[in-house]
Amino acid sequence: MTIDLTMPILVVDDYNTMIRIIRNLLKQLGFEDVDDASDGSAALAKMREKKYGLVISDWNMEPMTGYELLKEVRQDPGLAKTPFIMVTAESKTENVIAAKKAGVNNYIVKPFNAQTLKTKIEAVFAE
Amino acid sequence: MTVANTQHFDRIAEYLRLKRQDDVSLADVVALAEITAESLQTFFETMDAAIYRELREISDYINAMKAEIAALGVHEIRETRIPAAGQELDAIVKSTEAATNTIMECAEAVMAADSKDADAFKALVDEKMMIVFEACSFQDLTGQRIAKVVETLQHIEGRVSRFAAAVNTKDIGGFVDEQEKRRAERKAKLILHGPQLDGEGIAQDEVDSLLKGDATKKSSRKT
Repeated sequence: MTIDLTMPILVVDDYNTMIRIIRNLLKQLGFEDVDDASDGSAALAKMREKKYGLVISDWNMEPMTGYELLKEVRQDPGLAKTPFIMVTAESKTENVIAAKKAGVNNYIVKPFNAQTLKTKIEAVFAE
Repeated sequence: MTVANTQHFDRIAEYLRLKRQDDVSLADVVALAEITAESLQTFFETMDAAIYRELREISDYINAMKAEIAALGVHEIRETRIPAAGQELDAIVKSTEAATNTIMECAEAVMAADSKDADAFKALVDEKMMIVFEACSFQDLTGQRIAKVVETLQHIEGRVSRFAAAVNTKDIGGFVDEQEKRRAERKAKLILHGPQLDGEGIAQDEVDSLLKGDATKKSSRKT
């Protein structure tokens, strides 16, 4: 399995600190082209401007949540196939089931470590 | 009151019973009117006293409620304690954010440093580690600030509980206003629970199982 390290990745989170952490972890994994957005609607606008190879999104944001973003992405024929990983503190069973039903590729519960992020990205591209 | 009324009504009944066989004269009618008037006078006097007593009880209850509401310290809670707690929470957010940024800057500097010059690299790492230690001192202040917020919550809880007990109130559903209702509806619709305490949410291995369709795996999360 080979992952294209040059693919653009979009990190969506309303906390700059978390964006910075994920950006650094991705950098350690070899990914250099990383953009960010502070909520689902900002992410959606960026996704319609640029083709991303992976979206890593938080769930709980305003005004548009990551869950709403996921559903919007899956309903948009131009974006529907974009791999989508949810990284969130929402750790109830119903959240995971709802995300799975909406078409999430993987789901990481915060707090997480670099190894988990690496494993989940690899799993998404091994599908 | 009941006994007095019964006695007077008995007098009227007795009078009518005695006069049942006789012709009724004007004097009889006047006598009956006098007895009836006497009876009703006593009845109304008794009723006045009962109403007065009940109004007095209501007045005492209202005064007691006013005292309980005053004991709540609503103005102090709203104007002093809650704003102070909000300021403490703001300060916590700022200090943790500042500390996190400082620590991440150090980590980024170490990761970006050239390790070919071992002495220079060690000096840089030593310097950055000292900054990390200093940044971690935020935890002490944060703990103290959280303790103040908890004290405020306990203060409010104590007074509200006392008030609820005094008025013997029961919970009713509903929302305080439209904004609260909208927030609750948004949370329900978008499945927003926020971070869970240990043992409440599911662990990463359970998440993985759910995604694979195996919902039987038990969590390895410690509680």
